[in-house]
Amino acid sequence: MPSTKKLKIGIVCPYGWDAPGGVQNHVRDLAEYLIAHGHSVSVLAPCANEEILPEYVVSAGKPIAIPYNGAVARVLFGPIAFSRVRQWISQGEFDVLHLHEPAIPSISLLACWAADGPMVGTFHAAAKRQKAIFALGPILEPVIEKLSVRIAVSEASRLTLTEHLDTDAIVIPNGVYAERFRNGRAQQKWSGETIGFIGRFEEPRKGLSVLLEALPIVARFAPNVRVLVAGPGDTDEIYKQIHPQLRSRISFLGRLTEEDKADFLSSVSVYVAPNTGGESFGIILAEAMAAGAPVIASDIPAFVSLLGEGRYGSLFATEDSSDLAKKIIELLRDDETRQRLSIAAQERSKFFDWDTVAEQIFSVYEMAMVGSGSVGLASDSRSWGRLLGREGEN
Amino acid sequence: MKTGLIFGLVVLFSLWYLSFSATRLDRLHHRVETSWANLDGLLQRRAAIALELAHSRAADPASSLLLTHAAYLAREAQIEDRSDAESGLSGALGLLQNDLTTQGESAEKALLRELSQLTEKVRVGIAIHVDAVNRTREVRKKWIFKIFKLAGSAPLPVVYEFEHDVL
Repeated sequence: MPSTKKLKIGIVCPYGWDAPGGVQNHVRDLAEYLIAHGHSVSVLAPCANEEILPEYVVSAGKPIAIPYNGAVARVLFGPIAFSRVRQWISQGEFDVLHLHEPAIPSISLLACWAADGPMVGTFHAAAKRQKAIFALGPILEPVIEKLSVRIAVSEASRLTLTEHLDTDAIVIPNGVYAERFRNGRAQQKWSGETIGFIGRFEEPRKGLSVLLEALPIVARFAPNVRVLVAGPGDTDEIYKQIHPQLRSRISFLGRLTEEDKADFLSSVSVYVAPNTGGESFGIILAEAMAAGAPVIASDIPAFVSLLGEGRYGSLFATEDSSDLAKKIIELLRDDETRQRLSIAAQERSKFFDWDTVAEQIFSVYEMAMVGSGSVGLASDSRSWGRLLGREGEN
Repeated sequence: MKTGLIFGLVVLFSLWYLSFSATRLDRLHHRVETSWANLDGLLQRRAAIALELAHSRAADPASSLLLTHAAYLAREAQIEDRSDAESGLSGALGLLQNDLTTQGESAEKALLRELSQLTEKVRVGIAIHVDAVNRTREVRKKWIFKIFKLAGSAPLPVVYEFEHDVL
């Protein structure tokens, strides 16, 4: 980073720190990148277990599980959380605040309400289902408005934002440590005619069942094909869905470490992302691209833009298993195209390498800081607190 | 007794809401000003780089003339014409940039690098400013701001037609 001035940056993560998730990973990587470049960073996040936190994370309390966007979100709000947020802001003396997903009921929203000064908000979600929450527009509007700059992680999430909150955003993609994946070593055990899949395969929206439905057709044309599924989950239920003759072709590898993941993605012949929706960026797909895996993905908006309308990977019609089978067979048989896609995908992954992404985010911080002082508590938040206190006494 | 309490609370809330709205608008006006000052500064720097490029050896006489002219227009433009003038400068720079990336010496390369960093900032600067202006105009349309004259004597911010492909 060319900048010489070191900043004090406060980042708020709305979801439970110890639960797995894209937003948490993004916040962790960003915080660690900024710290490695000499800035001082404090992350405020809900935490179920406060003993295993990295040094830069401050716990805001235990998260509550609420159903949200087709999954269970672990978030936190309420008066106690609010007072912790305010305390964190007033003690932090930050130059800039970076709030993630500030439009859902969470500590990000509370922080946006409580603070005044240079604030940047990143919107991750891209889904139609949030209408109920976005219907709170009139209440959210003056709060979201306080953000000096809004960032959307993809064109899809930018559209969600303009549709629901009538406000525009700059698109800066999620970050990937591209180099880690570029340096993955191909392993014999995962090579050959292999199809890779990573994710919590029990969740329907990850689309493993679409891939499994495509398998019988693929197996007819590619006799040695194997499907390798990595990720946490219960395998028994999945095995029941599969034809007994095909069971030997599927291996479940469980959750992989980061190094194993890089090796895995570098080894497989084809990486398939059959997600049926609810994806705003596609971080694992981006990692697969960085590792140089030829990828096939469903044509949901996030993947279409990630794969440049098909220039950096093959797209199939979402939830259409026969189309997927066709695309897999085509790619498995065509060494030349696989080679070409692999190179194109790796080239593309430079756009969302942390070196590029963090640079862009940092430049946004600098722009947000122009003309306003450091972050403090908002005056109306102070009087709001007093008002609440007075009401409590009556 | 009870109605008195409720009445009191309503009055208190209304007062708080008024002060909240006034703070909100004040914050927006402040952002319009600072974001414009920032953007203006960035654009001025861009024009200066353009002039430097125009006077460098890399530029042939024709593009040098074009660039100088565009840069002067951008610097001298009134607020209303600013957007057009900046678009013109962007176009001229774009033409030259294509030629210079293929050939050109290290001094020019450094200028170009600075320019591309600046371009990124200008892009963000425009987004921030346009957003601030639109927000402010939107908010000032609401009845509470009109009736209580919460905008005071602050002039309505000018909309700049920065085109999306300005750079």
